[in-house]
Amino acid sequence: MVLNWTPEVIVEIFASIIIFVAALLTYFEPRTKKIRSLFFVRMGMISLVLFFVLDLLGNLFLSTILIRLYPIMLFPTTIFFIIGINYMIKESFNSILLIIAFGAGVLLCYLAFQPDAVAFEFRWGYIDINPVGMFEVMEDFLSFFLFIPVFYWGLKTWINAPFSIKKEALIFFIGIIIVAPISLTILIFYYWDPVFIIYSDITLSIGVFILCIAIFMEPKILYILPFSVFRIFVKDRNGYPLFDHDWSESNINEPIFTGFINAVQLMSEEVMNIGGLLSIDLTEGILILNESEYIIVGLVASKSSKLLKDSIVGFSNDFEEIFQKELKKSIIDKKEYMAAYELIDKYFSNFPSKLIKSRKQPLLLTGKYVKIPLELENKLRIIFPDEEEYEAIKTELIKSPLSFTYGFTKLYNELKDEIEKISDEEMKYLDENYERNKQ
Amino acid sequence: MKPQILTKTIGLEHPIVKRVIEIAEEILSKNKVLNVETLYNVAKKRLKIPRNGLLFIIQYLINKKILIEGSKFSKETVLSNYVRNRIYSYIIMNPGVHFSILRKETLSEEAGSSGQLVWHLEMLLKFNYIKKIKVGHYTIFLPYELDENVGRILFILRDRINNKIIHLLIKNESFIKSDIYKEIDEKRADVYYRINNLLDHGIITLNQDLDNRMCINHDLKEDIIKILDATKSSIKKT
Repeated sequence: MVLNWTPEVIVEIFASIIIFVAALLTYFEPRTKKIRSLFFVRMGMISLVLFFVLDLLGNLFLSTILIRLYPIMLFPTTIFFIIGINYMIKESFNSILLIIAFGAGVLLCYLAFQPDAVAFEFRWGYIDINPVGMFEVMEDFLSFFLFIPVFYWGLKTWINAPFSIKKEALIFFIGIIIVAPISLTILIFYYWDPVFIIYSDITLSIGVFILCIAIFMEPKILYILPFSVFRIFVKDRNGYPLFDHDWSESNINEPIFTGFINAVQLMSEEVMNIGGLLSIDLTEGILILNESEYIIVGLVASKSSKLLKDSIVGFSNDFEEIFQKELKKSIIDKKEYMAAYELIDKYFSNFPSKLIKSRKQPLLLTGKYVKIPLELENKLRIIFPDEEEYEAIKTELIKSPLSFTYGFTKLYNELKDEIEKISDEEMKYLDENYERNKQ
Repeated sequence: MKPQILTKTIGLEHPIVKRVIEIAEEILSKNKVLNVETLYNVAKKRLKIPRNGLLFIIQYLINKKILIEGSKFSKETVLSNYVRNRIYSYIIMNPGVHFSILRKETLSEEAGSSGQLVWHLEMLLKFNYIKKIKVGHYTIFLPYELDENVGRILFILRDRINNKIIHLLIKNESFIKSDIYKEIDEKRADVYYRINNLLDHGIITLNQDLDNRMCINHDLKEDIIKILDATKSSIKKT
């Protein structure tokens, strides 16, 4: 049997291989696999691979059946992409685009089996079979329609990418631009000269190749949209903090937050008799708490998901196993649990950190690492004997204007002398509530 | 199988992490602006480690609060400290307050020493949120915009007996020193002590024409009445 090798067939072989590799990368690169939205995007990619494979096989074997079937693959491709991207952004399948895509897809299936849907054509010295008439129009409509969610996905990913992976997100977006608007624009010229289908396929392959590179460089770009995780913390059953990790800077007031967690724990345990996994909806996110024998692990995220719940349970179990000895001895020194950082990498490695917001983000060293002259250090140590207070003051010192410490020590000495000189009798005159307070 | 941490744990004792901290210290000690870019560039040049690894370390240091977001204080940011803000609010509400009262009213037992209060006061002074004046041997604190004379009067009027004496003298124009304590029904020693203080501060004077009767300093009378009225209306409002 003679195979009908045409330039289009060869280009499509490369295109289908590259897209298949991209689909595999979205599965193998991230350490966490069970993200529903990514599953649909991956299915969309595989449908697109089938689209190209059926097209190339149809031309290779000059099979009208396969040529009738390959455009139909655009139907699941579009549906899967729309579902996946919609789910990523809204955690919901429903959208207007889905209804339109479904209608167009059904029409495409109907047109595929009409008598004159495909025709043999002779181009550049080769024979090939192509959809014609309304079937061809509908195929192109779905191709262009697919552009909307894909482009939106790339754009949103790039916009929302945190600083640390912005570069990779830009590469990803460039890939999407080449895949969607550029390759589709070239496809328009197909109506003028069919040779442009080859250029369009080549551009599409290049775009998908760039996407592969971006995903390979940083799989976290696939996790920018599904959810944002803000913070994880581990406390022992008495409420002592053992470990915490932030993915983004939080303005949470620590004492209030700790009080809240302790109250929730107490209420769930003693009042409501609920243990294990607990989700609490907050105005702009969710708090997932998991209670186990020795610890309570909490995760604050933008939305709840089964993946996050599974991750938190896995994290809790491993934490308890690894630090069993320390937990049994009720050790509350956070340094002992620092190695739990590796568990973050194990269970939450796909979630990008948003701690660095921009390259110009101003930074300061915490008090402990601030080097100050010995003389000043001695003075401050006398004034602030409490270690915690001393560290906090050192942190402030670095932000203070020059010569601030001179003014501070002068004022301190002045006020100290003044207080020493003021008798108890005088204090009575200063304080209108003195007598009342004394009682 | 018991899970184990197999990879080398990144921590503050890790040599590269230590080096990054040293570089940050060095940048700050030269009074240069420390930001992600400068730290990254200098560390990258010296340590020659991959971009992602270095960003990971910077992120780790931010996460562990070794590197904290922030720059030198400005007028806008200096009040972001909760305790400082509380002290400033107290001074706004109670102009002319003395350090000892501030210490009692604004610092809770677990939240700071006198040193911390002085620290915050100096910060508020440095950024012109408040000013300090001496009234006798007392240092008092006022909102920056408040006139010093008004502040001085407010400090004096904070005392209940001073307040009674002033009210009496405003009502009666002048009064014999020896009768004041009877009129306001307070101990003589307490009243005399205050009268001497008020004379020292020039709030009241002895009128030579009226047999050395006590009266309000004519130059301050208008201010004092205004302050008393304002105090009354603010008390009513509260």
